[in-house]
Amino acid sequence: MNKSWVFRYARLAVPLWAAVVACVASNASAEDVIRFGAPLPITGPLAPEAIKQQQGYDLWAEEANKAGGISVGGKKYKVEIVYADYQSNTPRAVQATEQMITQGNVNFMFGAFGSGAAKAASTVSEKYKVPTLAATASSVQVYDQGYKYLFGTFTPNDTLTTPLTQIIKAKVPEVKKVAILARNDLFPLAIAQEMEKSAKANGFDLVYFEKYAIGTLDHSAALSQIKSLAPQWIFVTGYINDLLLVRKQMVDQEMKAPVVTMIAGPAYQEFIESGGKTAENITSASWWHPAERYDGKDIFGSTENFVKLFKAKYKSEPDYGQASAALCGALFQMAIEKAGSLDRDKVRDELARLDAVTFFGPVRFGANGQINSLDPPVFQIQGAKPVVLFPEAIKQGDLKVGVN
Amino acid sequence: MHAAQILVNAVVLGCLYACIAIGFSLVWGVLNVINLIHGSFIVLGAYLAFGLYNALHISPWYSIAVAAPLFFVLGYLLQRLLLNRVITAPVLVTLTMTFGLDLILNNAMIYFFKADYRKLTLTPSLGSVSIFDVVVPVDRLIATVAALALTGLLYLLLRRSRVGRAIVAVRLDRDAAVLMGVDVKSIYAIAFGLGAALAGCAGVLMALIFPISPLTSSGYLGKAFVVCVLGGLGSVSGALAGGLLLALVEGIGSTFFGPAHATTLSFILLIIFLILRPQGLLGRKGFE
Amino acid sequence: MTRSNIALLVLLAVVASLPLFGGAYALRLGTMACMYAILALSWNVVGGFAGYPSFATAAFFGFGAYTTGVLLGKGLPLWLGVVIAAVAALLMSAVLGAALLRLRGHYFAIASLSLVEVLRELVNNATDLTGGGMGLNIPLVSGSGVLAEAMFFFYAMWILLLLTALMVMAVAGSKLGFGLACIRQNETASSMVGLNTTLYKSIAFGLSACFVSAAGGVYAAWVHYIDPSDVFDILYSVKPIVMALMGGLGSPLGVACGAFLYLGLEEVVWRNYIQFHSGVLGLIIVLLLLFLPHGLISLRPANLWRKAKHV
Repeated sequence: MNKSWVFRYARLAVPLWAAVVACVASNASAEDVIRFGAPLPITGPLAPEAIKQQQGYDLWAEEANKAGGISVGGKKYKVEIVYADYQSNTPRAVQATEQMITQGNVNFMFGAFGSGAAKAASTVSEKYKVPTLAATASSVQVYDQGYKYLFGTFTPNDTLTTPLTQIIKAKVPEVKKVAILARNDLFPLAIAQEMEKSAKANGFDLVYFEKYAIGTLDHSAALSQIKSLAPQWIFVTGYINDLLLVRKQMVDQEMKAPVVTMIAGPAYQEFIESGGKTAENITSASWWHPAERYDGKDIFGSTENFVKLFKAKYKSEPDYGQASAALCGALFQMAIEKAGSLDRDKVRDELARLDAVTFFGPVRFGANGQINSLDPPVFQIQGAKPVVLFPEAIKQGDLKVGVN
Repeated sequence: MHAAQILVNAVVLGCLYACIAIGFSLVWGVLNVINLIHGSFIVLGAYLAFGLYNALHISPWYSIAVAAPLFFVLGYLLQRLLLNRVITAPVLVTLTMTFGLDLILNNAMIYFFKADYRKLTLTPSLGSVSIFDVVVPVDRLIATVAALALTGLLYLLLRRSRVGRAIVAVRLDRDAAVLMGVDVKSIYAIAFGLGAALAGCAGVLMALIFPISPLTSSGYLGKAFVVCVLGGLGSVSGALAGGLLLALVEGIGSTFFGPAHATTLSFILLIIFLILRPQGLLGRKGFE
Repeated sequence: MTRSNIALLVLLAVVASLPLFGGAYALRLGTMACMYAILALSWNVVGGFAGYPSFATAAFFGFGAYTTGVLLGKGLPLWLGVVIAAVAALLMSAVLGAALLRLRGHYFAIASLSLVEVLRELVNNATDLTGGGMGLNIPLVSGSGVLAEAMFFFYAMWILLLLTALMVMAVAGSKLGFGLACIRQNETASSMVGLNTTLYKSIAFGLSACFVSAAGGVYAAWVHYIDPSDVFDILYSVKPIVMALMGGLGSPLGVACGAFLYLGLEEVVWRNYIQFHSGVLGLIIVLLLLFLPHGLISLRPANLWRKAKHV
């Protein structure tokens, strides 16, 4: 009798244990393939961003494989990208990274989306000494941990707000009062805080600075209040859904201002399409723009070529998220080919030493691993098209005042 | 003037909230089930409106007529085939069941519609009307009227029709209704179908106003929760009162404490209501 | 000590041997398994014993994570931060419980759910202290190697799990446990025969909070970065319930097994269905509720036989 219950529970425990062990068992890797791990937020609030990232990675992998693969010391290796969904949940991103490195047999890693997840996941890839390229991490705090294996292709947030503020100050003298409405989330809040600093440094009067919660359904109260304060410059941060909603409610409330800036929505084609006329004259800044003209040494070559390839594959205009993801692949390819080896340390050293022009612009990483060679473009929607205002080298038009 | 604008904003938004919550309230009140699929139903309704408008140029006003029967059948079948099997189980089981169903539906929507945000933009746009500097967007105004109409229809249905009386009877006293010869299982399925139909219609109306994505479902569900508790369960006029109160609190809270605190305030209000007045604004005690 | 309690302790001892078999990733899963088991066992005190459908687990988890995270940032050692988080959660929940536990059924469920929302938004808006939506970076506790760190957090979580299990067993065998069972069966009657139901429920709520909060604390130190939507994730409230339903409501052994099984399923599904894992998880939940409503524990051969006899 006594034996039987022990036995019974033991029987319950065995399949459980087997499940755990099965999880842990690793799978073998194929030869002549370089595996890149890409944790993505395929489900959850960041899901729309995952689609963009994946498009960028896939485009690069396709192009690289079309050319026969990456040549390492005379031998061609095919590219394989291993995806995992981290459910827009940071701890899952860390877990996915560790799983890919320890069991997925990946050679190199792409960073998780956004600064927070990229930073958390980088602690793992650093521990295992796996070179990681983060396509969408801009906060300086990601790179100030003294990590040697983490590199990022976005310049710090203030490189977006500073040129914008200077342009507005020079071109629109009537702007005195600034209102900021920010999504209470990592990147949107960080950039709003940079904007606050930049507005104060340039002598603007900051009349309103509030955050809204993630998932806010209605902005009418905040917008009515901003309207009553009559600022000349309205600065809103958020993701595309927030910005579409805010823009619609601004129109609903008949709000007008000489300058309206939104980050990061207008960089996306969907914003212009969905916004229609109401998107006109909205200013924004991002890290890359399809109107740029660089003649690169990477697999994509010129910016035009990249845009052409992207349009052919996805039937839409690429934006900075997709471009940066593709760039990360292209950079790995350059570094691996230069190193002539799949040795992680050698590739890491080549990345650190990299100094080349790409379709994305000149790429050089600072000592902390963050790119420091780019001038992010400031642009404005004019005639249903984004028009670059800054930097001078690729300028396409002048700032138009008045958003109705 | 600013105060008047805030008030008008709140009234319009309150009617939208009522529209979101009313189906949820009906199901909760009649079946004693917290229906966590409600938010995803609304989103599915929004996709229906979006698809019909973009593919066939059917105006969302007509889409309501398509959505209502479609969602009724969907809800009816779901209740008949799945939920009725566990309807007598404790609260926890039905709740977890709808949670599981919601995971499936939401994931399916992400898979088929993709997660990125769509927007139903009417051409030409409806614009806004302004009276003495107080601006009201026309699409919201129409949605408000439609929400009121739906609420009114439901009210009439529950008061005047045989099925409606049976639903109310089951809600008041299930056992007595059984004794009176009411087929409770079928009434449950009809009520759940009605709840789904209301969610679908709400979704069609929301498509005009909010960006559409499977990710927005939890936002709608959260509002429905708060509105129901504030207004009182299962009561049609309660949903309206709850919606207005919530919108008012959010509007005033956002103006005085900043928009980030509006959500906090609404949930604190919810807890206070639960403790002090669990039957809600218009609910009657003893209907639990 | 009952058989099932001994079996639970044996199970935990088996789990503790995990480092003998697996590497760093296995330890990560083991740490998660212990954490899930802590959440599920804690929930069981209020949800299983007292029958109150609490959705507040995520609130206490996030509370613990942020309390410990902020204290670690101020330079306190990890163990002290975790102890403070646990004690603070115990006190807070006991007081809150006295108010919230007057509600029953759905009303209590919603109130506890709202607690998660309120705490999340409070943390979200206290930007100066918590970093708000930008998240909180937590200094690394140990600068040691990969395996050593994984081992450290695994055993930290395991010890917490052991303490939770001992607490749950103690409650189950005590007057408190008996009182909670009375409350579950008929609360009005229990209070009429002189049971101080408010006190009992508050203690149960407090006990169910403090280990969850401590687990949140260890978790925060483990992942180095937390943000409000991650640690106040409503799934932390729902998952323990599913685990408990899976294993068998009320039985500590069943609940612990449920937690481990859930983690295993989650991992397998997550790996194999990149696009559709949450849907598959939903499907498992639905099937489980339809066909195995009393959990794994009802899968004993004796029960199957009994069922067959009825048919």
